[in-house]
Amino acid sequence: MKNVIEVKNLTKEYKELKAVDNLSFAVQEGEILGLLGPNGSGKSTTINCILSLLNFSEGSIKIFGKEMKPDAYDIKKDIGVVFQDVAVFEELSVYDNIDYFCGLYIKDKRVRKKYVEEAIQLVGLEEFKNFFPKKLSGGLLRRLNIACGIAHKPKLIFLDEPTVAVDPQSRNNILDGIKMLRDRGATIIYTTHYMEEVEILCDRVIILDKGKIIASGTNAEVKALASIEEKVSVEAIDLDKKYIDEIKKFKNVDEVIYNNNILFIRYKKGKNNLDTLLDYLKEEHIKYNKIYSERPTLNDVFLELTGKELRD
Amino acid sequence: MTVFRTFLKVLNKCKTPIIMYTVFLIFFGGFNIQTSDNSTNFTASKPDILIINKDCEKGITKNLIHYIEKNSNIIDIENKEEKINDALFYRDVNYIIYIPDHFREDFLNHKNPKIEVKSTGDYQASLAEMMLERYMKIANTYNKNLSSEKKIIKNIDDTLSKQAKVEITSKLDTDHLEKATFYYNFTNYCLLAGCIYVICLILSSFKNEHIQKRTIISSMNYKEYNRKLLLSNSLFSIVLWLFYVLLSFILLGNIMFTLHGLIYIINSFVFTLCALTLAFLLGNLVSNKNAINGIVNVIALGSSFLCGAFVPMEYLPNSVLTIAHILPSYWFIKTNELLKTIESFNLETIKPIILNMAVIVIFTIIFVVITNIISSKKRKIN
Ligand SMILES: Nc1ncnc2c1ncn2[C@@H]1O[C@H](COP(=O)(O)OP(=O)(O)OP(=O)(O)O)[C@@H](O)[C@H]1O
Ligand SMILES: [Mg+2]
Repeated sequence: MKNVIEVKNLTKEYKELKAVDNLSFAVQEGEILGLLGPNGSGKSTTINCILSLLNFSEGSIKIFGKEMKPDAYDIKKDIGVVFQDVAVFEELSVYDNIDYFCGLYIKDKRVRKKYVEEAIQLVGLEEFKNFFPKKLSGGLLRRLNIACGIAHKPKLIFLDEPTVAVDPQSRNNILDGIKMLRDRGATIIYTTHYMEEVEILCDRVIILDKGKIIASGTNAEVKALASIEEKVSVEAIDLDKKYIDEIKKFKNVDEVIYNNNILFIRYKKGKNNLDTLLDYLKEEHIKYNKIYSERPTLNDVFLELTGKELRD
Repeated sequence: MTVFRTFLKVLNKCKTPIIMYTVFLIFFGGFNIQTSDNSTNFTASKPDILIINKDCEKGITKNLIHYIEKNSNIIDIENKEEKINDALFYRDVNYIIYIPDHFREDFLNHKNPKIEVKSTGDYQASLAEMMLERYMKIANTYNKNLSSEKKIIKNIDDTLSKQAKVEITSKLDTDHLEKATFYYNFTNYCLLAGCIYVICLILSSFKNEHIQKRTIISSMNYKEYNRKLLLSNSLFSIVLWLFYVLLSFILLGNIMFTLHGLIYIINSFVFTLCALTLAFLLGNLVSNKNAINGIVNVIALGSSFLCGAFVPMEYLPNSVLTIAHILPSYWFIKTNELLKTIESFNLETIKPIILNMAVIVIFTIIFVVITNIISSKKRKIN
């Protein structure tokens, strides 16, 4: 696998604050890399540094094996960026907006027309071609924003929180579109603070906090960092305290909480945890309605590593 | 082409305010030209003259008085020093001619009698002076060669009647120059307001922080992009300028086909380039669309008032004019004002005009340099 991006010891300081702190990572060709982190963890700053939009104090950045510089137009021509903030002309229609931004890369009119049409299809804005941005809902505007960033068929795409404040329908549309871009062969860097998105979309994930990488690897690798194995919730009405105390003594049990008629048990590593619990419930004739077991999420990893939730 | 096409589309989107703006300006300007028409027309062509004749009204004296009466408005004022001075001060009269005692006799005897005059020193007065000088020159020529008073008078009349027409057209067409200066002074506001309004509006879209980011990360060369944007805006400014020049031909007519007209046009072109660069600079500084109207008012209206685009320079207090030196409009308007007093163009008369234009060019260069500094700083989004 070729490295499309290589970031080495990247540090960006704002006066006192280190927004990005000695970051090193690589992005491989054809993968979707998730940059996951809470608000203010330095995701956008990292991307802006990689794109030479920001001066950084230290570090080096290579894209396609070449050093990235503000005037490295041969690198830039293969990059597409969808920024966190919507950036479109109020005065131009959906079609003209995409056409304009595509035109910054593609000079040939016929090729461009084809590309613009394809981008419109990808984000599903066919019916809104002649609409002006003011007339679009938040979700549609986000889709337009994406189309403007990727219409020129870049090999490397940055997407900075493209689904923030987007309705579920648009979100699914956007996620499908991103998968399609990957299937076309693009390498994608995707920042978000929604761990669910990372789980369904990304091949690899880097978790950032306060400008530092606190975990990285494939989803499974990162989750394996968690000390817990599974979380079990049981809906049981008016459970007696003695049972709860009993359960607490089970093997592998890390924590037991009983609240609102839900019994929540967190297990450390180990096998057959659910079986043991079910046997016990049967033995004691405890009535329960629903029972589910969950694998640890990225949020749990984050929680363990930082002591706080990913989303506050 | 992409940039230019988008420029046109953005321009097209804000055409309504632009058209309204222009119509309003034309209406206001045109209206003023019409009114200034009535007030200056009559007085401009004929001076008000008072003749105080101490001689008898006979022969050559009578002929001189006739001639002056024919070509001016004769004013009747009591012959008292005080009254006469008042009349001069209030411009009830432009020129006073004192024909001395024995004028006729002395003249015919080649004693060169002296005619005293008093004058307001303005344009009308100089017309009167020319009239008198011309008469005396012709009269003296015939007086030298002819002995009969009758013959002299007849010859004078013949010569003057032949020259009468030439005299008026060969002189400055102040009436029309006055209007042209008014019109071009007024374009100071139109050009500034038009350029600043439109260019700021366009740049606030193109230089919007987020769109700017997209442009910078694109593979379009950033310098080239700025060049294209500048070119598009220049094209607009030149179209705007052409529009006002065309309008000046319609409103002012023949005067625009003279050398004076040409210099009005060149002067306004130089100023348009300056307005363009100023607007480009402002457009780079201002990102808020709502602030644009305010800026247009402060800069275009402000400098128009300070530099005498609406109120003639001579009515402005000196302190204001001193401040106005630091504004390009001042130098533009100064040339316009100068033009209406220049009779013939030669190195001497054209030199101050070229200097004024040079000052405007220097302003233009300064604006370009500042814009470049700001623009390259803005490339990083720190
Ligand atoms: N121009 C700036 N000046 C000073 N501090 C800044 C500036 N821009 C960002 N920061 C700080 O840098 C840190 C990282 O910001 P950044 O925008 O990269 O976070 P993020 O991970 O993208 O967050 P979000 O999810 O809110 O987009 C934050 O603490 C932010 O306050
Ligand atoms: Mg961000």
